[in-house]
Amino acid sequence: MREVMGIQGGWYALLLGACLLGGAGHTLAAKVKLEPSNWGHPAGEACASCHAKSSAGLTQQWQDGAHAKAGVNCMDCHQAAPGDSDAITHEGQVIATIVSPKDCGRCHVSEVEESQGSVHAEAVAVVGDRLKALADNLTGPAVQAAGCDQCHGSVVKVRGDGTLDPATWPNSGIGRVNPDGSKGSCSACHGRHEFSRAQARDPAACVRCHAGPDSPDKEVFEASKHGMAYVAHRDKMNLGSDTWVAGKDYSAAPTCATCHMGAAGKLPASHDVGMRDAWRLNSPVSEKQYLIMFTDGDKRDLPASQEPPKRGAQFEKNDGTQAEVKFVVPPDRRRQAMQSVCLECHSKAVTEGFMKQFDNVVELFNAKFAIPARDLMADLYAAGKLTPLPFDEPIELTYWELWHDEGARARHGAAMASPNHAWWEGMYLVGRNFYTRFLPQVREVAGADAQALIDRHVTTKDQHQWLKDGQQTNPILGFGKREAGGG
Amino acid sequence: MVRLRAPLFITRHVLFALVAGGLAGILFMAFLIEFDHFTSSNAFCTNCHSMALAEDSYKTSVHYNNASGVRASCGDCHVSEGVFSATWDHAVGGKDLLKQIKGSLFGPDYDDPVINALHLPEAAFAARRWFKDRDSATCKRCHDQDAIQGKRADTAAIHRDEAAGKTCIDCHINLVHRKVPGAETFKRDAWNVMIEQEFGLKPGEAAERFGGH
Repeated sequence: MREVMGIQGGWYALLLGACLLGGAGHTLAAKVKLEPSNWGHPAGEACASCHAKSSAGLTQQWQDGAHAKAGVNCMDCHQAAPGDSDAITHEGQVIATIVSPKDCGRCHVSEVEESQGSVHAEAVAVVGDRLKALADNLTGPAVQAAGCDQCHGSVVKVRGDGTLDPATWPNSGIGRVNPDGSKGSCSACHGRHEFSRAQARDPAACVRCHAGPDSPDKEVFEASKHGMAYVAHRDKMNLGSDTWVAGKDYSAAPTCATCHMGAAGKLPASHDVGMRDAWRLNSPVSEKQYLIMFTDGDKRDLPASQEPPKRGAQFEKNDGTQAEVKFVVPPDRRRQAMQSVCLECHSKAVTEGFMKQFDNVVELFNAKFAIPARDLMADLYAAGKLTPLPFDEPIELTYWELWHDEGARARHGAAMASPNHAWWEGMYLVGRNFYTRFLPQVREVAGADAQALIDRHVTTKDQHQWLKDGQQTNPILGFGKREAGGG
Repeated sequence: MVRLRAPLFITRHVLFALVAGGLAGILFMAFLIEFDHFTSSNAFCTNCHSMALAEDSYKTSVHYNNASGVRASCGDCHVSEGVFSATWDHAVGGKDLLKQIKGSLFGPDYDDPVINALHLPEAAFAARRWFKDRDSATCKRCHDQDAIQGKRADTAAIHRDEAAGKTCIDCHINLVHRKVPGAETFKRDAWNVMIEQEFGLKPGEAAERFGGH
């Protein structure tokens, strides 16, 4: 990894980044600093009076929440200008159904600033290329609204008659592209209309999307010591507390929010959920990543294999436009931010040892399986043995799942301390599928060139030499003898 | 003895004129009543193809199709009660007939589904103003606000409390015909794009055809 700046400079960047991302740089959750005269829209009382009858459930949720207690009413969030593309007239008021981050950001300034440019806010761009191949071709476009878009977010379309296109709405996907151009959906995690702190800090806030074969974070967390401690000590978690600093306001267990967003020691809370991720784990081959901060407040990740831009340079943002670089946070600083959470409960040696075990799994996955598989596929495409179209040949699904499903499970299992996912649900399946599904399919597709290809990318590599020693015995299958000196 | 005697100016001719005029007046009133009745019927209204287009959405609405079999005709909603008001409404409505005839010769042809859809919002805004100006009088021919129960728990309470001081059309728009946004938030460009997509027109074609009159 390239050194972008000196150690001092790096820490400065981290702290500066932390200050920027965490609001005022203190350890408390950012407070709404606006004068209460900014809310309490006079028409809002009339909304509540009717909606208490017409939709009693959501009105009750609002009444139970902090908004109602502070005097924030329906109109404060739902008001719109007549010229807004999604404005509608409703009982004499001009409102919008969708409350976008821009609306929430009128009061919750720092949270929205932090989230912009994060992996959450950019979740639509992340799957931009995949939608055609997966949703349209492999299944059918009809699944997009109910499936993909519910997590990643839809590009909300307002029809000419003012209604929201049901192909894009209802939707509370985290990267939703709103009619006002803003990206994200606060209600993805902060369930409407109570917007409870405790609910958002609970791992249940994340599992609607972070579960299942490709991002089994729910399963991984539940199978870890962290998850075990959380279930056992949930009553000590202080989930509804005004401030929620790990090690100070609670110490029984971490939740997703603790490590990925929460305040800990001097590390401020941040709504940029990916800021502390040193690795990119959901990719064919994992790479460590820079965090590039732009002067306009936007940001993006950049793989560590690429040359990072200099401070003050123009650089491409996620949306393809250019902006001035404010500073670059290297992967080890991102790791340090994450570790500062660990250190609230663990020793430095345990923390660093854990990270080493995690990194080793990622590097093993990369070197032994991900890179050879990627190179084999590249050769098959280059030789015209496969059509460029994804998923019309069975090997393409095998390859996809190798990194996207079992490969992701292995890496996430190691990252979040679930031995079961690191091994049985992860690397075991990676190994099994690589040797017994992927390579046989390579042989089938490559025909006469198969052995040369596999030799070049697999069998000549150190980690695959065990295949050549067919006479090694082991009683694991009930045959063979234990090797002398073996355990 | 006092003899009842017609004033001297009531001559035979005057008497004849009075009787004839009275009879003619009665006949004229009867004619107006019949005329209003006939011209309020669905069959008359949908004689024009442009109105047949409005009928499509009407036929999918509860005002046409419902379990009780009560069916509101065009005139039940769009023509005022009482022979004078009804006649006035029909006289005003006559301008639409003129436009319709004119459209068959030159200018916008409202029988063309595209032209019809492009002009629909302004028609809807005018209709809403009409209902509002009359305190939703034609709705109240059948609906009595005090008697509304609804199917959900609090519908009656909402019509008692929150609807106080409001008139039906304030809340109940887009009940029967194709959905049109409120005038305040209506966006002509977005509407045109929707119509272009619906009818497979080229971008900009809607504005051209809408503005071409």
